Amino acid sequence: MKMLSLMRRQRALLNCAPITARQSADHSMRAAMSRADGSAEFDNQQNFDRAAARLVRLIPIPAESAEWFSEKDLVRASQWTWKKMMRNPAVLAISIAVAVIAGVFVFNFLSQLNDFPGSATARKLLGTAASTRPVMLDPVNAEAETLSDLFFMKYGLEHYDVPAEFADFGTIGCRVFEDDESRRIAQIWLAEKRMQFFLFPAERDSKTGAVLGFPGWRYVHQEGWTGAVTEHSGVCFMAAIRGGDKDLQPYLKPADK
Amino acid sequence: MLGDSRKAQEVFHATLREAAQRAARRELPSEPFWLFREARWRCLEATKNDLQPEALEIGEHDLAPAAASQIERLDPVQIAIWISAAPDPQRSALALFYLDEFDYREILDLAELKLTELSCLLAKGRRQLQAWLDAKFPQPGRV
Repeated sequence: MKMLSLMRRQRALLNCAPITARQSADHSMRAAMSRADGSAEFDNQQNFDRAAARLVRLIPIPAESAEWFSEKDLVRASQWTWKKMMRNPAVLAISIAVAVIAGVFVFNFLSQLNDFPGSATARKLLGTAASTRPVMLDPVNAEAETLSDLFFMKYGLEHYDVPAEFADFGTIGCRVFEDDESRRIAQIWLAEKRMQFFLFPAERDSKTGAVLGFPGWRYVHQEGWTGAVTEHSGVCFMAAIRGGDKDLQPYLKPADK
Repeated sequence: MLGDSRKAQEVFHATLREAAQRAARRELPSEPFWLFREARWRCLEATKNDLQPEALEIGEHDLAPAAASQIERLDPVQIAIWISAAPDPQRSALALFYLDEFDYREILDLAELKLTELSCLLAKGRRQLQAWLDAKFPQPGRV
């Protein structure tokens, strides 16, 4: 019974067999055609269908309707516009990625424009300034300029001098410590606006050992802190304050801004 | 489907107009063959009130090996009229099948037929066309 049903289905499929290879055939149709392949009855049917289809294709189409099937595009391809292109998710993603990369490059470029010998150390020390608490320093109540002698006498640090601009500021503490490159850093805490001073060795040329100096004051920024750095006699001095450049500018000589 | 170029043109334009209006309203159906289905129904509608062919018992012959050469002797308009004169759904089945644009599953979908129905309609159509061909172009040795 099942066999009979299968044969009926195959017979039904053969009656609907594609006329040409233009029409796709599913697995069951291919199987039925394969089974009937070579039979005179199926060959007759295929020849009949092909001839009929050829004739049907020759049926004249009314001229007005035929115009619709001309070679011209019925629907004009959509116009390319910037607006459309920008809405494309792929283009949007690439644009954002390029913008971020460009932003990073510009940021690095601008950062490097402000770089000077010792700027990396200065930035690290701004981080130190942010994390330092007064109890970590030895209490010293004096004028800042007098600490130069202390650093020299007690620690043997030469030219660790506070510039004239900050010489009169009152201190509340100081300490000398070594950074991760074993350089000796002097740190001074002031009563004035919780300002801190840092004195550290200036960078030197790795081949000649010559001090890499720079003129005037340079600014560095890190974690909301700003430092004004100057170099003198192979030692860098940095005045650090929480805030921006404008908070430090009043303390510096107008000519050096 | 109609055997009348004027009517065919009217149906064609009406179908296109419907498609354009739906497109303008952004209401185009997502199913792939709705346009053909629409055209088919319009064709059936257009012929509903026409004079209907008499319900005659049309003869049927087995397909002849020389059928292809008999068909080639026909004028294309003759086969168009012959198909359009068939009662629906045989007319839809023959028209869609011999257009050679759709596979059998698509025809089943478009004409809303079952496989056995389509198979019977096509087989019967072939045999009837063969009988007509034999009457029109008699072949020696065929009854």
